[in-house]
Amino acid sequence: MKPLLSQITSIVGESYVIESPADYPAYAVQGRTPALVVAPGSAEELAHVVATAYAAGVAVVPRGGGTMQPWGHPPVGDFLVVQTTRLNRVRTYEPDDLTISVEAGMTMEYLDETLAPNGQMLPLDVPIPARSTIGGILATAMDGPRRLGYGTSRDLLIGVQVVEASGRTSKAGGMVVKNVSGFDMMKLYTGSLGSLAIIVSANFKLIPRARAAATIACAFGSQAAAFALARAIHESQLVPVAVEYLFGPHPQPLSLSGRGESTPPSPARGEGGWGGEGSLLVVRAEGLPAAVERHVRDVSAMAERAGASGVTVMRDAAHESVWEAINNLPQSALVDGDELLLRLSCLPASLERALADAESLAARHGLGMRVAARALSGLAYLRVRGDDAGAQRQFHADLLGRWTQLALLAGPPALKAEVPIWGTEIPNLSLVRRIKQEFDPENRLNPGRYVV
Amino acid sequence: MERTQLIEELRRIVGPRGVVDDPHALMTYDADGCVMDTGDPQVVVLPTSTAQVSGVVQLAARYGIPVVPRGAGTGLSGGATAMFGGIVISTARMDKVLEVDTRNGRVLCQPGVINYELSQQLKPYGYQFAPDPSSQKACTVGGNIANNSGGPHCLKYGITASHVYGVEMVLADGSVIWSGDGSPAAPGYDLTGVITGSEGTIGLMTAAWLKITRLPEAVRVVLALFPDIAGASSAVSQVIASGLLPAALEIMDRLAIKAVNDMYKLGLPESAGAALLIEVDGVEDGLDELLHDVTGICLRNGAIEVRPARTLAEQNQVWAARKNAFGAMGRLSPTYYLVDTVVPRTRLPYTMEQVGRISREFDLPIANVFHAGDGNLHPIILFDRRNKSQNQRALEAATSVMHVSIEQGGVISGEHGIGVEKQDYMTLLFSTDDLAAMAGLHQSFDPHDLFNPGKVFPKGRGCGELAALRKAGVAWAELKSS
Repeated sequence: MKPLLSQITSIVGESYVIESPADYPAYAVQGRTPALVVAPGSAEELAHVVATAYAAGVAVVPRGGGTMQPWGHPPVGDFLVVQTTRLNRVRTYEPDDLTISVEAGMTMEYLDETLAPNGQMLPLDVPIPARSTIGGILATAMDGPRRLGYGTSRDLLIGVQVVEASGRTSKAGGMVVKNVSGFDMMKLYTGSLGSLAIIVSANFKLIPRARAAATIACAFGSQAAAFALARAIHESQLVPVAVEYLFGPHPQPLSLSGRGESTPPSPARGEGGWGGEGSLLVVRAEGLPAAVERHVRDVSAMAERAGASGVTVMRDAAHESVWEAINNLPQSALVDGDELLLRLSCLPASLERALADAESLAARHGLGMRVAARALSGLAYLRVRGDDAGAQRQFHADLLGRWTQLALLAGPPALKAEVPIWGTEIPNLSLVRRIKQEFDPENRLNPGRYVV
Repeated sequence: MERTQLIEELRRIVGPRGVVDDPHALMTYDADGCVMDTGDPQVVVLPTSTAQVSGVVQLAARYGIPVVPRGAGTGLSGGATAMFGGIVISTARMDKVLEVDTRNGRVLCQPGVINYELSQQLKPYGYQFAPDPSSQKACTVGGNIANNSGGPHCLKYGITASHVYGVEMVLADGSVIWSGDGSPAAPGYDLTGVITGSEGTIGLMTAAWLKITRLPEAVRVVLALFPDIAGASSAVSQVIASGLLPAALEIMDRLAIKAVNDMYKLGLPESAGAALLIEVDGVEDGLDELLHDVTGICLRNGAIEVRPARTLAEQNQVWAARKNAFGAMGRLSPTYYLVDTVVPRTRLPYTMEQVGRISREFDLPIANVFHAGDGNLHPIILFDRRNKSQNQRALEAATSVMHVSIEQGGVISGEHGIGVEKQDYMTLLFSTDDLAAMAGLHQSFDPHDLFNPGKVFPKGRGCGELAALRKAGVAWAELKSS
């Protein structure tokens, strides 16, 4: 490793190489210690580091804030961790164009603070925004509740620059909101879990911050009643930006990002609303003040017709902190040792059935479960807690038997090692393999971690 | 392979009515909406099923015959033109809407379904297919997906790529895949995302699950008239900058107004140098407030008049004028060249000035009808194709528009695609390494360049060659790290 160390040190400087990562357990990737941890200071340095590792036959694990390193399998073989957090600059920001280009190691919180003074946002609702980086958000394609109203990173990413396995740098897209010049490589890299290339910068289409916003949290005695409201909203011409189904103890609006004071929401209407346990349907409306009020009125009325046991309307700080807590629910870095974090994907109309299965299986196996589900999008994050590893294993097997697109995003290493963590149905695997082979023939980028 | 034998085998696969080999009939397939480039296919087939398409592709692969997908042929970049001959596979007979699934917000249709017809069929359910190219009464959803088409309502609803859940595609070996169905987080790579906009170069689409969008509760349309295009352009820039989100912001300039004014009985005054079509939609509440803010910006930017389209009939009339403006150009000139580029939205006023300069410099009238809210220009260069000098000047004027757009931080196509028309301009935007990455993606789908060869990538730099360059990355890496 010596020649590699000196080569890399000469690229990034001594201060930005950790020679003995064993002393820094935070940099271990699922228990595996990297040969080196390197923090390049620019896209050029990063490319040079990757090229050097490639020539030395050493694999590379890209790392941003590290919050999603529990995803996937542990890397195989010797590897470097390439930390992107020094790549944290704004490359181009012309507020009046509503576009921005930033380096991939920038945190979501920093990006948000850059955009806020201009009344703009990138509404991805990522967990732990103070640590989550743009590159990590794109590599994992992590979504948020407002995907219903604004789409996911897939819809907002308009350009990208990457460093490929050999150290070659390439780009695609541009700084305009509509562009069919060349293939849409942005889609290829988004969600590829760093297995095809390392994202070094990203260009986004921005959204104007809404003039008004409100939360309508509707508590129900049963999952079926909560989904009846979700269906009624889906059939209406209302346009909420998020409709989130929650199950389990209602999330406490702590400010986990360490930003600002937490403001406990105060029930505005009805008893038995926010604050307890059980099924909740939380609706977020944004836009012009009159449109938001219309949503508050209509959704509240629809909730009562659907048999809600309580309706809580929240605005301002309470509204913000509640969504922050909801956004953090699916975060792998916040999962305790006795928890599994699962992501279940299905057709939107099947979600109710999938969650009914999950809830009854959790009850049968004596496990605690919290659910945060994009109720109209067919996506649910489940946190399943229990000290009985056998019960967790059985729960996972039973649910996977019924719902094939079930990803085990975080959990005990022993369980992850023996189950199909990406689910039992990986579509078009041979084509996916050919793409991996084309982009990373030597299997040097995040080897072993994703589906190929 | 002998042509007669090929035709015989194709007849066996798609039936006698599904093969066009008459030389006169074939002439209608020698180009698409981009008349600058032509190419003669050996034969055209019109399959009716995925199995037939697969059969044709297997046959073509066996004999190394190019396969060129074709929808309605309305494309403006030569994407459906058989540059190297071969078999054109027309989707004209695969035109069925197979399933409307409102519970999952999706529709299953064949690629030959006409965009407008799809929205008409969805209307009784209270839904629409949001992407609405101006050619929507003729163009097919297959073509929309292949080109990642836009349209006026992209401003609010996003481009086609945001409205495709999955496609069924016949690959180069004749195998058939489904890239998705609407489940949002299937493991693997986003194949749907990379297939969309790949211009028929990596496979042949045979069906698609498309996202459907609930019709808005209320819609308002107004036409703001300006003395000149500069005022209209800066109004658009300011609307975007102020964070308002209309559903559409479309500009027509003086020449375009002249072309549509009589035909659509718009009764616009001669003094109008530009018309800005503004549409807002959503729930009824707050909509008037939004419209008031937008028209306020127009008035502050010198609008001489703001005309609301009060009834649905009036709204339809205004939209018909906008969407058929290209066709109406025939009233002004025998031929036109429609250029499609995009600039950042703050650069719109300056870029439009430059388009005016280009018109004067090349001494050709240029009309403008465009998606101003997205910064997507459509200068329409009017010329007579029979006149050699005009022909040449039209091409040069188009090139100038592309150069100006790139200079302003823009790109060479917003929604029409690269095809043949712009393949040689790709190097203005992309380095060899950028193109090699795209070629790598292409090669993993279509290693032998079976589908729509000679498109998108610059002439003389085939995908194979670019991908090989990339594979030589080991040497490059060693060089770089030494």
